[in-house]
This record gives sequence, C-alpha cells and structure tokens, in this order.
Amino acid sequence: MKDVLKIGGILLAITVIAAAALSGVYSVTKPLIEDAKQKEQDAALTVALAGADTSGIYKVENEEYVYYEGFTERERQNLIGYAFITSKYGYSSDIVTMVGVDTAGTIIGIKVLSQQETPGLGTRIAEKAYGETKTWVQKQFEGKTAMGCAVDKDGGSIISITGATISSRAVTNSVVDGYKKFNEFITKK
Amino acid sequence: MSAFKELTKGIYDQNPVFKQALGLCPTLAVSNSVENGLGMGLAATFVLVCSNVIISLIRKLVPAKIRIPVYIVVIASFVTIVDYSMNGLFHELHKSLGLFIPLIVVNCIILGRAEAFAGKNNIFLSLLDGIGMGLGFTLALVLLGTIREILGNGSFLGIPVIGASFKPVLIMILPPGAFLSIGFVMGFFNWIENRKSN
Amino acid sequence: MEKKLFVSSSPHITDRESVAKIMFTVIAALVPAGIGGVYFFGPKALWVILVSVLASVATEAVIQILMKKPVTVGDGSAILTGILLAFTISVQVPLWIPAVGAFFAIAVGKQVFGGLGFNPMNPALLGRAFLLASWPDYMIRFDLARPRGGHLAGIPINIDGITEATPLNVFRQLRDIYSNTTEFTGVQPDVHQQIDTLTSSYTSIKNLFIGDVGGCIGETSALLLLAGAAFLMYKRYIGWKIPFGYIGTVALLSWIFGGKTDLFSGNILFFVFSGGLILGAFYMATDMVTSPVTFRGRILFGIGCGVITVLIRQVGGYPEGVCYSILLMNLTVPLLDRWNRPKVFGKVKK
Repeated sequence: MKDVLKIGGILLAITVIAAAALSGVYSVTKPLIEDAKQKEQDAALTVALAGADTSGIYKVENEEYVYYEGFTERERQNLIGYAFITSKYGYSSDIVTMVGVDTAGTIIGIKVLSQQETPGLGTRIAEKAYGETKTWVQKQFEGKTAMGCAVDKDGGSIISITGATISSRAVTNSVVDGYKKFNEFITKK
Repeated sequence: MSAFKELTKGIYDQNPVFKQALGLCPTLAVSNSVENGLGMGLAATFVLVCSNVIISLIRKLVPAKIRIPVYIVVIASFVTIVDYSMNGLFHELHKSLGLFIPLIVVNCIILGRAEAFAGKNNIFLSLLDGIGMGLGFTLALVLLGTIREILGNGSFLGIPVIGASFKPVLIMILPPGAFLSIGFVMGFFNWIENRKSN
Repeated sequence: MEKKLFVSSSPHITDRESVAKIMFTVIAALVPAGIGGVYFFGPKALWVILVSVLASVATEAVIQILMKKPVTVGDGSAILTGILLAFTISVQVPLWIPAVGAFFAIAVGKQVFGGLGFNPMNPALLGRAFLLASWPDYMIRFDLARPRGGHLAGIPINIDGITEATPLNVFRQLRDIYSNTTEFTGVQPDVHQQIDTLTSSYTSIKNLFIGDVGGCIGETSALLLLAGAAFLMYKRYIGWKIPFGYIGTVALLSWIFGGKTDLFSGNILFFVFSGGLILGAFYMATDMVTSPVTFRGRILFGIGCGVITVLIRQVGGYPEGVCYSILLMNLTVPLLDRWNRPKVFGKVKK
C-alpha cells in the first residue's frame, strides 16, 4: 500500500512538473506560431489577389464560409476580387490552394498552401520550372475562367504535368469546386 | 579518457544509425534533403541531450517499476517543446518535417540511451553520451541527405551543384532511395570493418 | 589441407543442359521480337538494345573483376538481362537511359545479392522499375515512338487532349474522360464510340497482335513473342503453369472489370495483347531463379501476377502493371515454395 502511494506520488510529481513546463513553453510560442501562420496566409493573399492593396484585403467570415475581399484602396474602394481556400485529395495528400478571382470569375492569382505530393512529380504544381518566374499553378490558371477549368486529359485547357496527371487534375477540379461553392454562397447573400 | 570516449563513441564506433541500426524510421523518412536531415538531427539531439540529463538526474529517485513511463513523460515533454518552438521559429522547416517531429517520442535512440546509459550513469557522462549519440544521428542523416539530395535533386542545401544538363535520379528522394542509400552506406562501413579486422 | 571431394545437396541430377545453353536458347527465341522491334520502331531500337546489352555485360564483368570472382559473362545471362531491359523501354529514350538501367539491373538487381541464382527479383524488371521511378518523364513518353505506317493506339484517335500513346494509355485516358467529364456532353458519345473501336474493332486487335502499335521496343508484337515462346515450350525451358495462370487471370478479370462502366463487358483480346503482358508472362515471370518450383506455387504465382496487373491497369496510377506485378510476386516466391512443399514420399498422414 505504501509502495503504491510512493510510486503514484512520484509519477504525479513528474507529470505535474512536465505539465507546468509545457504550459510555460506553450504560452511563449503560441503568439509566434500564430504570427508565422498569419504571415504565410498574407503571402498567399498577395499572390491570389495581386493588384490589391496589402492593407485593403478584408476577411469575410461567418459560420459556414470564409473568404476574402480585395480592394485597391485601404478604405474598401475599388473591389478587384475575392479569394477563397479550396482543397482536394491528390495523389498522396490534400492539396490546399488559395484562389483569387475577379468579379467576373476570372482567376487573378493562385497559390498552393500545402501539399505532400510525390517529390519531383506532384510537387511540381507548386514549383517554378527551370527559367520560369511563375509556379505551374500560376502559369496554368491565371487569366482563365474558374468555372471552365479542366486538364487536357479531360478535354480542357490546363496542361497537366507529365507523370503527375492525378495531382494536376486534383488542383484543377478543386479550383472549379471551390469556385462553385463560393459562387453559391455569394449569390445567396 | 573515459569521458572523451563517451562523447566520441556515438559518432562512428557506435553510430546509432549505421552501427546500432536504431532510429531507422525517421532516418528513412526525412533524409531526402540535407536541410530536413539537419533539422531532424538537431531536434532529436536536443531532445536526447535534455532527456539524458534529466533522466540521469532523477535516476535514483525513480523506482525501477515505473521507470519507463517516467522516461516517456520526460521525453514527450521535450519533444513537445521542440515541436512548439520549431513551429514558431522555423515554420517552413516544421511544415516539411511534419509529423516526424512528434514521432521523436518513439525514436528508439532516445529511449534506448535513457534505458541503456542515462539510467545508470552520472549526469556529466550522460550529457556527453547524449551529445555524442545526437551528433552521430545528425551526421548520419546529413550524410544520407547529402547523397540523396545531390543524386535525386542535383542540389546541396537547395543550391544547385550539378549543371542543368544533369537529369536527377528521382528515385533517390523517393522512399526507395532511402533504403538504397542506407543499404550501401551500411555495407560500406561493414566493408571497412572487415578490412580492418583482416 | 585441400578439399578433394565436393558434395552438394540433393537432387543430384545429371544433364547435358548448362546455364549458357539455356540462356542462349532464350536469347534466340527473343530474336524475332527484337527484329520486329527494329522493323516497327526504326534503327534507333537496335541502338537501345545494343547499349543495354553492352552495359549489362560490362557491368557484370567489371564487378566480378573488382570482387575477384570468376568472370561469367560468357554464360549469356547478362546479355539476356540487357535484351529484356531494352525490350521494356520506349525507343524514344536518350541512349544513356538503357545504359544506366542495365548498370542498376546487374549491379543492384543481381551482383549485390551474390550473382546469378541468388537474385530475389528479376534484374531486368528491377532495372526498368528503377528507370521508371527515376526518370518518369522519359519512360512514359511514347508520342514519337510511332511504328512505321501505324498509329500509336492501333487506330487513329481524334479527340482533343488525347496524346496518342500506347493502347492501354489511350484506353485509360478515354475511360477517364468518359467517367469524369459529364459536363463536356458534346464529347461523350464520341468517346463512347472511340473506346469501342479501340478495344473491339478488327483493325485494332489485328494491329495489336502483329505489333503495329506504340509501346516499348520488344513488347508490342504478340505474334513474334508467342512464336519464340512456343519454341521455348517445345524445348521445355518454360512451363505452361505460370504464363497460362497469369494470362488466364488477366483475361478473366479484364473481361469482368475492363468495360467502360458496366461489369462483364471488357474485350479479352485487347487486354491480353496490349502492353507487356505476353513478354512478361512468357519471358519474365518464368525466370527460373525468381519463380516458384512447385506445381501449386507456380499456379498461384501466375494468378497473383494477373491480379496485381489488372489492379494496376484498372485502378492504379500507371496504365500498365506487368512490371510491378512480377516484381512483387517475385518477393513472395520463398513463401509460396515453403507453403506448397510437396509431401515427402512415404510419410504417414497424421
């Protein structure tokens, strides 16, 4: 009996110390982590809503849907378009992209936020080809109508990456799906 | 002399990856580039050094019956600290190392050193052991990462080192490349040992 | 003291057959398909085969010299590996591809394990798998490998976005369009018809059988490969169990799952003659070192290859699955042999 109490006491002491140390670390790193995530999102927004003023991008949020509005001026003047986040499962991971469209549904900019596709093949959706200044998604999607996107293998105009048709198709279809969802929401409003 | 030996044994003589074949899971998974290997190696070294010191410190207080849960709590705490700090300070690296950071908890090198060394030796020697083993693990990851990144991507630390006409051997940065390179490097070290003993 | 008497384990069979004789007979059986490949795809095919064979032989010789082992390139096994490897790659690759592939096949696929007889997997296929994983953009490119006077798919295909390639590739693309894009309603009836023409028309099947379609150098001509295989079966160098188990399974499963969307509507002939099935089933799956020795083991080996091939072809990421299916089944060989070990004669059943 005494033994059980002693062992339990030691375990308790150690877990309490560990928990205290962790909560300390957590409170220090939490703002840092959120800051890093915020920066990442801001960088994506400036790509997706190219042309908007960096401080003229507003988050529109309600219970079921989140999107962003981009203006050329800080004070909500000159709406240039909207950005939304969309995702679809590719070859080996969820491919999450931030897509910016203008009011007519033409894609302004696009950025892959996260993916874990096959290195050297699927990952090329987010990479710049040798000597290019734009990533594959930017090159393929910018200036196209979001609704009509389809990869070449499905009869569309998006040139899929050799050896990575599945990843290319997933991005393409997720852009279309994401736009549909966004459009539904905005017309309902 | 003995202290020096505890520090250096992990680098070659008892290298955790190539000689003890410990911690192969993270070795195979994150050695696809030098940066990932270095990040993972240093993160594991930090956890290993800290857990070795703490475990050596409390080794006389902990009854043998509950030593494993206690070790795991200590290790898991340090892993969580690394996980949070890396996420805040090196966000990109944290994204590419992904779920392998939390998995340091079950890295056999760390529990293995706790059980085999830190639970029986004093703080100073455990510290040296942790540094040595951690360095050995880091060096192994960087070596494999170098081989795989140069062959599989034509670059070192992300900087292209081979001309553009080189077509990278993609398989080397895919999972099979990890098995291939670890097999050949291990075989190479065994060959050296064989020649020494003959 | 020097050993004078060598006793190996049973069975103690005496026969005039030697490794070299078997290897060179198999090589002879592959010659028609090789000539067919050069005829269909032009003189570059010959260069690919030559580079592959030379690299294989050179790798084997250099490694054996470095390891101070007897040099056994004369037994023809390295030549055979080189030919089989060249047969499984497109004529369109740059010439360093077969060289690197042959080096990997011999060095990692064979010599690392101790040379001929100790390799767990077919070296030629391992070389191809290595090439496919390393340089997929070269290995899956067939758009210029148009056989003389023929079409890559065996028939002309005129749909936007279809890059004409191997028949199986076109089939997969067409079926993807068929099932994926209901929005492009204008295209669909056309696709429907194209799939039928591709898989069931007389011209398409005839071209597939002769080999007048796009594909790897030595895999397209079912006719020439079957002629060589018949010779080898007559000489009893290859048995019937693995190839028939393999092709039978592919035929059955393709009939069930190979239709456009309905079950039991696939065209068997199309799926048996396209891709590398004939080459793989008769010349690679039957490799003596890497296939089971027991009766049941061989049947199961063939069926396993067939199941994996159809799985990859119908739902996997690649249009063709012969290479991976044989490699995967190679690894099960020790298990299959142990599991199907024949009963010792005279042993009492318990």
